[in-house]
Amino acid sequence: MNADALFRHSPDGAHPPPPGGAHAAIAVEGLVKRYPGVLALDGVDLSMAAGEVRALLGKNGAGKSTLVKILCGAVRPDAGRIHIGGRQVELASPAVARERGIVTVHQELSLVPELSVAENILLGRWRAAGTRGGLVSPAALVRHVGRFLDDLRLELDPRAKVGQLSVAEQQTVEIARALSYGGKLLILDEPTSSLPAAEVDRLLILVRRLAETGLAVIYVSHRMDEIPRVADSITVLRDGRHVATRPVGDVTTAEIVEMMTGRTATSRRRPKRKASERVVLSVSRLRSGDRVRDVSFDLHQGEILGIVGLLGSGRTELFRCLYGLSGRESGSVKLNGQPLRPRTPRQAIDAGLGFAPEDRKKEGLALGMAVSVNVTLSSPRSISVAGLLSRRKEQRVAEATRTRLAIKTPALRTAVGTLSGGNQQKVILGKCLNARVRVLLLDEPTRGVDVEAKEHIYALLRDLADEGTGIVVVSSEIEELFLVCDRLLVLNSGRVVLDRGVADTDLPAVMAAAMEGDAR
Amino acid sequence: MTGTTVSDRYSSGEVAERRLRQVTGAAGRLGMEHLGLLGVLAVVFVLLSLTAPNFLSAGNLLDVARQISFTGLIAFGMTLVIIAGEIDISVGSAIAFGSALFGMLAVDQEWPLWLAAIAVCALGALIGVGAGLLRALLNVPSFIVTLALFSALSGLALLMTDSIPIPITDAGFAALGTGSVLGVPIPALIMAVVFVAFWLLANRTTFGRSVYAVGGNAEAAHLSGIPVARVRAVLFGTTGLLAAVSSLLQTSQLGSGNPTIGIGVEFAVITAVIVGGASLYGGRGSMVGTLLGVVLIGILNNGMVLLGVNSYAQNVANGAIVLLAVLVSVARPSTRRTRRRVIARALES
Repeated sequence: MNADALFRHSPDGAHPPPPGGAHAAIAVEGLVKRYPGVLALDGVDLSMAAGEVRALLGKNGAGKSTLVKILCGAVRPDAGRIHIGGRQVELASPAVARERGIVTVHQELSLVPELSVAENILLGRWRAAGTRGGLVSPAALVRHVGRFLDDLRLELDPRAKVGQLSVAEQQTVEIARALSYGGKLLILDEPTSSLPAAEVDRLLILVRRLAETGLAVIYVSHRMDEIPRVADSITVLRDGRHVATRPVGDVTTAEIVEMMTGRTATSRRRPKRKASERVVLSVSRLRSGDRVRDVSFDLHQGEILGIVGLLGSGRTELFRCLYGLSGRESGSVKLNGQPLRPRTPRQAIDAGLGFAPEDRKKEGLALGMAVSVNVTLSSPRSISVAGLLSRRKEQRVAEATRTRLAIKTPALRTAVGTLSGGNQQKVILGKCLNARVRVLLLDEPTRGVDVEAKEHIYALLRDLADEGTGIVVVSSEIEELFLVCDRLLVLNSGRVVLDRGVADTDLPAVMAAAMEGDAR
Repeated sequence: MTGTTVSDRYSSGEVAERRLRQVTGAAGRLGMEHLGLLGVLAVVFVLLSLTAPNFLSAGNLLDVARQISFTGLIAFGMTLVIIAGEIDISVGSAIAFGSALFGMLAVDQEWPLWLAAIAVCALGALIGVGAGLLRALLNVPSFIVTLALFSALSGLALLMTDSIPIPITDAGFAALGTGSVLGVPIPALIMAVVFVAFWLLANRTTFGRSVYAVGGNAEAAHLSGIPVARVRAVLFGTTGLLAAVSSLLQTSQLGSGNPTIGIGVEFAVITAVIVGGASLYGGRGSMVGTLLGVVLIGILNNGMVLLGVNSYAQNVANGAIVLLAVLVSVARPSTRRTRRRVIARALES
């Protein structure tokens, strides 16, 4: 491969053909993907013109990520055709998809922080930029990447170390690398969720400019403050089906929400109960880092409070701040009337606060260790006698936990990693409960859990609340929050924009608030 | 629940993941985990009894017991360090430093021997805790922290003594390393006490439980309220203390505070721990396994000496043993397939 062939990005889209026309940049027909028990995509059609930016929207499980995975070659469809530039293609692997001109930038960046911008953009293809006596030539690398960045009108120093760039600049490097493969379609998956608010504009401007050069862009996002500024059109998916594609100027947030939810009335709700007057957790004007800007709420005894927010809205950061994992700039927190400012998880637990993190496997469990060990991990005192661990006490506590939470495990000494997702989640709940916490913070407790286990976990949460535990749940499954919660709090850019009892609001209102930041 | 098999409930990716995880499966509690090692030990023992002259004599075996104890007792502390996913390569130099320091204090400064001994142990533990704190608070990899100690302590020992051994003539003190009680060498008795103490520490205290949890998943342990930094600091304190104890025993045996002893001990100790089944990735390991590892390496080396094997060749053999032990532990999942079937059956019913 010579140096010229290296960058095949040669924009020529001065006159983009109309969407869906014969020369659509990309056309997808009748895409079907079935997973065991789920029809993830059910005959989805999609057509985009060169130079078009398309916002792709849909709830959790609507089929967005499956569609993206198929387009970037990570997953093969069961049926359907994909055309790029009028030619049918088989996207057998990510490498093939890239070869055919579909490039994807995921939420997690895949850059090597200690290498330079030039080295990252040509990652693994350093020799192709030109060699010197058979060795990689740093000068040639910088020269070629510099020319390429100039073509894209990106102001990046090819020599700069990627680790020293801002998040937005790193994302730009990632996009530039994707385009260096000669992309015709760029897929951006929730690109602004990891960006500080001030850097969002730069990304939006860059996307617009790239589109003007003829690049088609699929922009996965639900932020209604961004979509009209960056996208030409929107496509909404629901339950694996294509619901509608509209020019962006024609639709309002309310209409989009309606398309996403399908006007299904949230019928099943948790029976309304008389809320206890006693406030167990009181958060006032909390501010922490870039993500939690102004959060206030009261949690009553026995109440289940659901927190709704888009990715990057500060929901996880709120939990981490309450649990003492990140600092607090201002605001106050009271637990059972006492000021709470834990510096370590131990202090938080001793004060009566439990936390079940989003990533079960990485942060929640010692996977290789026994169920009995994991459920007692936070409560060493409950299983020791005179300073020594008591196997008998441990067995008793673990057995009681297993019975109470109906944990399905062959034995208490079974490694937690061998259990199903739902049972792993129950083990984490058990760990918190054995530490006798009064308030539980649960981050996505039903992620990766099958339907039956979800029901179990929700039933369990209701039981715990009835026994007086205060529970705060963050979940992307907004409908499910309506089933289990007493009250919902919507976070948008680190601020509470809606705080209502579930009986006094509905799904479209909550989703619109999360997407738009309009509480009324 | 009838009619559902385990595999139905997991995607194939999850099954593979589970298979991986069972490397550290807690089903090892069945007590089966050491059978293989015990078998190897028995075979080696019988073979050496048949081939090596004088191997099976009481005198030789007691001598082996004494020899493995000097450094073997450090292996129990090292086991905890390795279970926590860390490593300590400074123990050999710590022995040299302890021995030199003891000579200085006892002879040059004319401290009472018991006071000098306590000082050596206290300083050894303190240096270890310091290394642990560097690891825990500044997040410096333990390999680097202890590499620095390895170099610095050895240099200090030589500096303090001008690289000249300091003779210590005290019959009572000499008995520590060379004496016996009821025929059993005193170092072996001390190692037995250390073994029992560390077995209790590992299996019957919240500290030991925390060590396994930190090695199994440090992030989860932290979020569960385990003081990860404190655990790490204490861990390196234990290896520091044990190295100091070992230095006193060897000083006693040699009759001098010697700054050149302890070379290569760290690798002998780590070898025994790995042979004993501990995982260098953390989360797995046991005191019983380490004891078997220490004994196995001890009789193998003794046997090779008795058989007249070249001492350089012995090093090669030791290298091969480490590699073999690691290969065995990597290949182990095959035996777990049966265990998985057991679990599958239990879930079906």
